[in-house]
Amino acid sequence: MFKVKSFLIKLAILPLLAFGIGASADETCMSPYMAKIVGQEDFVYVWTLGKEGLGDEQDKLVTIDVNPASPDYGQVVHTLSVGGRNEAHHSGFSDDRRFLWAGGLDTNKIFIFDVHSDPARPKLHKTVDDFVAKSGGVVGPHTFYALAGRMMITGLSNNKDHGGRTAMVEYSNQGNYIATHWHPTDQDLRGAEKTGKYADGYGYDVRVLPRRNAMFTSSFTGWTNFMMDFGTMLSDGEAMKRFGNTAVMWDLHTRKPKKVFDMPGAPLEIRCAWKPNNNYCFTSTALTSQIWLMYEDAGGEWQAQAVGDIGDPSKIPLPVDISITSDDNGLWVQTFMDGKTRYFDISDPFAPKQVYEKVIGSQVNMISQSWDGKRAYFTSSLLDNWDKKGDQDEQFFKAYTWDGEELNLEFAVDFKAEKLGSAHQMRFGAYGLYGLKRPYEVKSLVADAR
Amino acid sequence: MRIFWVLLFSSSISTAEPVGDVRLAPGDFKGGYDKLDYETDSLSLPARTGIDADLIGNIKSEHLGLPSFSAYQQEAPDASAIALGRKLFFDRRLSRNKTMSCAMCHIPEQGFTSNELKRPIGVEGRNLKRNAPTLLNVVFNRRLFWDARESNLAQQVWSPLLAKNEMNNPSVGHVLEQLHSDEEYFDMFMNTFGETANIMNVGQALAQYQQSLIGGGSRFDQWYFGREKTALNTLEQKGFAVFMGKGACQSCHNIGDSYALFTDHQLHNTGVGFEESMRKDPKSITVQLAPGIQASVDQSLIRSVGEEKENDLGLYEVSLNPMDRWTYRTPSLRNIAVTAPYMHNGEFSSLDEVIQFYNSGGAPNELLSPLIRPLNLTNHEHLALKEFLKSLTSNNLPELVLDGFAAPVGDVL
Repeated sequence: MFKVKSFLIKLAILPLLAFGIGASADETCMSPYMAKIVGQEDFVYVWTLGKEGLGDEQDKLVTIDVNPASPDYGQVVHTLSVGGRNEAHHSGFSDDRRFLWAGGLDTNKIFIFDVHSDPARPKLHKTVDDFVAKSGGVVGPHTFYALAGRMMITGLSNNKDHGGRTAMVEYSNQGNYIATHWHPTDQDLRGAEKTGKYADGYGYDVRVLPRRNAMFTSSFTGWTNFMMDFGTMLSDGEAMKRFGNTAVMWDLHTRKPKKVFDMPGAPLEIRCAWKPNNNYCFTSTALTSQIWLMYEDAGGEWQAQAVGDIGDPSKIPLPVDISITSDDNGLWVQTFMDGKTRYFDISDPFAPKQVYEKVIGSQVNMISQSWDGKRAYFTSSLLDNWDKKGDQDEQFFKAYTWDGEELNLEFAVDFKAEKLGSAHQMRFGAYGLYGLKRPYEVKSLVADAR
Repeated sequence: MRIFWVLLFSSSISTAEPVGDVRLAPGDFKGGYDKLDYETDSLSLPARTGIDADLIGNIKSEHLGLPSFSAYQQEAPDASAIALGRKLFFDRRLSRNKTMSCAMCHIPEQGFTSNELKRPIGVEGRNLKRNAPTLLNVVFNRRLFWDARESNLAQQVWSPLLAKNEMNNPSVGHVLEQLHSDEEYFDMFMNTFGETANIMNVGQALAQYQQSLIGGGSRFDQWYFGREKTALNTLEQKGFAVFMGKGACQSCHNIGDSYALFTDHQLHNTGVGFEESMRKDPKSITVQLAPGIQASVDQSLIRSVGEEKENDLGLYEVSLNPMDRWTYRTPSLRNIAVTAPYMHNGEFSSLDEVIQFYNSGGAPNELLSPLIRPLNLTNHEHLALKEFLKSLTSNNLPELVLDGFAAPVGDVL
């Protein structure tokens, strides 16, 4: 009992401390509980899917040198194969940013990489292979989101029917299972208010606003669909019913769901605003191509509302990753089908306006931008069996600079030509985070990590 | 015309009647999803708990409407072997990357098949070309698989265990070594068979569990064989008359004097396979994006993200006899209300679609079975036939489903 109390108190205090010292954020989209890189990042770690018939066919962590001052700038400087094709997908740092947790949506393995000993050469520190059994049947570890001393992992599916009902699973930083938090269903709302018609129990992403004691989750689809050939699924009327249509607002400290919002069409990534008085988070629906806002109203109640379309929804552009700028004024939105990135002015969060777009490739999914917004990196892969087929299946990492008006390509890595696989999620690394000096002299660029 | 019809009836998909305390349908119920007024009615996974059934007792019980078990049994029933087979059946570690068990495609509450997609997917999401058949009453099938290429359950199990697009094990020896190295399995095989796992007894154990999944005693059985006059209502009785008469369903889905398996154990060309192989793709298809929200999607977009579907020629693939093109095994109709989607490729998601297909005379082709012809059913006869088919759900199915819920799911520990 003492331990439980102690834990709750710790959770309540840490967010305040984090804000107090100003180290509130990583590069615009990650947990407020960790140190951030505010200057030039040295590396981008790309969690990469192994591709049958390509290279060593295994999932791997690919390290790319992105510091223009480095002699290896633009080069793949390290790869670390982990064995098997696990449906490599997302990753996230621990709150101390010393370890990168990366998940396999298919095999449910979690690979914990040591990125602090030598940021240029991550090492596999530990593999968690009993996630499903420990969690009570959760399948598809997706988002890895650092809380204080904890890693919150969202699931996508379950081991009973491989459908979309699932849970969040909480681990300690040491990689030990702590608790499973099931998403509310009609049979067991777990105390939440069903504000509309849906309580599907599906999951996808998680983000928090510690200052409001609020946690938010979105909903995608189960193993059967995210592993299925995309074209086959689109042609299967039953499969197309198995998508999430909800977002849930939770009490962060107690981990209890409070409100279930209707959000038709698979809301995916959640991005919360940074400014102290901006009490809102964005998400976008993949199938219905809308931007949604979850916000706290004047009465202190949380609400959800669709605030804009992305492209022409009738053409199914399939918005995937989104990224909010650190000043809360811009939102990058990738649309997979047309390979575009779109920049929305969200200075009025209730009225996003698209002000820029650019084709990145035949397909595009993820974006990671620097804290100052001057650099943006893109990768191509969505899911192994959802990626485009044949020549349209470009697999790349592309590095751009953004001057506020135009994205300018600095360099690209062709993941097929390099026999690496399909490029998915990116996370930044820097020597300065760990008090390490770069192995080369830098005259004009200073790593400022705190 | 076809599209209109599908839209008209699609709300009836997966709306199986609840039996007992178990919902015999996917836990994330999607009935009426095509309508804007759709509401969720999702079940809690932590609440999906079960009760062990006496499966030996189930085999030994008299099941109204079923033939003698001993006339069809492939393995002499043994409680220890059934328990071992059940454990294997729900063990996801039996696949190459430890993600797929038999039960991931033959899901208890979904009629021991998959209601949630036309054709199941296997390891790494690889496509299968045929619908997952129900395992309920599988012991009474004289031939197995849709193309009837196998006759023995104990032998059959090795096909999915080794198929690259199913459980993808690299060899028989690999599976056996996994079982040898597991202390619990080692003991169970020794206690059951007096020897370690081998190519024979793994199949026998899985066959023992599968052949225990029997059930008769449906409301139809109570009415027809049990002489309970009120077990079927008037509409269902009318449907039975259509089934036996104008609908001519019984010509393939046989009903005998003392039992009914609703199959002739033969293979027929209804045209479903022919249509799938030979028809031209439509320029666009309607895709459900969210409840009540659909979009017309151009085929070029589908192709850009989709692999070519593997062709399917039915029994021909076994016999190489061109007369066997697109012929498939007649499935039993028992428990049909809970085993959607239908036909060998899962083409139809509702009984309405199936009845409409046969009512229109199937899909014409040079090898079409002469038993398939336009039926000219009225709307009332169509409805009556559907209601009759929904009366074929076994009265002990909830017990079998709850037993499936109670079975431990094997995951990496």
